[in-house]
Amino acid sequence: MQIPSSLAISGYDRARDAAQPGPTPARAEAAFGQAVGGVVSGLHANEQAATASMVSGADPHALVQALADTELAVQTAVSVRDRVVEAYLEILRMPV
Amino acid sequence: MADLFSTFSIAASGMDAQSRRMRHVAENIANADTPGYRRKTIDFIAQLDRARGVTTVATGPVKLDRGELPRVYDPGHALADEDGYYLGSTVSTMIEMADAREAGRSYEANLAMFDQARQMSQSLIDLLRR
Repeated sequence: MQIPSSLAISGYDRARDAAQPGPTPARAEAAFGQAVGGVVSGLHANEQAATASMVSGADPHALVQALADTELAVQTAVSVRDRVVEAYLEILRMPV
Repeated sequence: MADLFSTFSIAASGMDAQSRRMRHVAENIANADTPGYRRKTIDFIAQLDRARGVTTVATGPVKLDRGELPRVYDPGHALADEDGYYLGSTVSTMIEMADAREAGRSYEANLAMFDQARQMSQSLIDLLRR
């Protein structure tokens, strides 16, 4: 059986396309940065709500809600940071 | 986690609505003996919060009781007419007390929801820490 060279070349071309690595996945740092950015903007909004309820006597329910939101957001951020630092220390302790 | 955060805002809206209801109950009770006072009521309206995609509760405009004012016999009263009657208020203290108790119970229910959501997210974070 004879295979024309042009067919072989085009087949090789297709195979090369298929073997290409896909688009690089979003880097963990970027995702983490986005999460932290979200937490920080949430903190700003909640701080404003807290200040408003202190100064202008706004709804105390909004204050309680803002405080609960802030508490949980900060705890989440701190927990994630702890895990990241722990993992980093684990790598540092690796015997070389 | 976002759902738990939405629970906070929903429960807060419920508590806000119940406290507004409580306020009008207090106004009604305070004016129970005011001649010509009509009791105030408010409606609750489900409200779609488009930013978060949740349904919260809001209070509608204040409505005045349209019932007839009761005629009270008291010839010595300053507002009494020649027959000795004056128009009292439409407030029934018993109804207002029941309304106040209901508002309190609903408030507690919303508070319990708030606390529950908080405990749930707290235990989620504790799991992350371990």
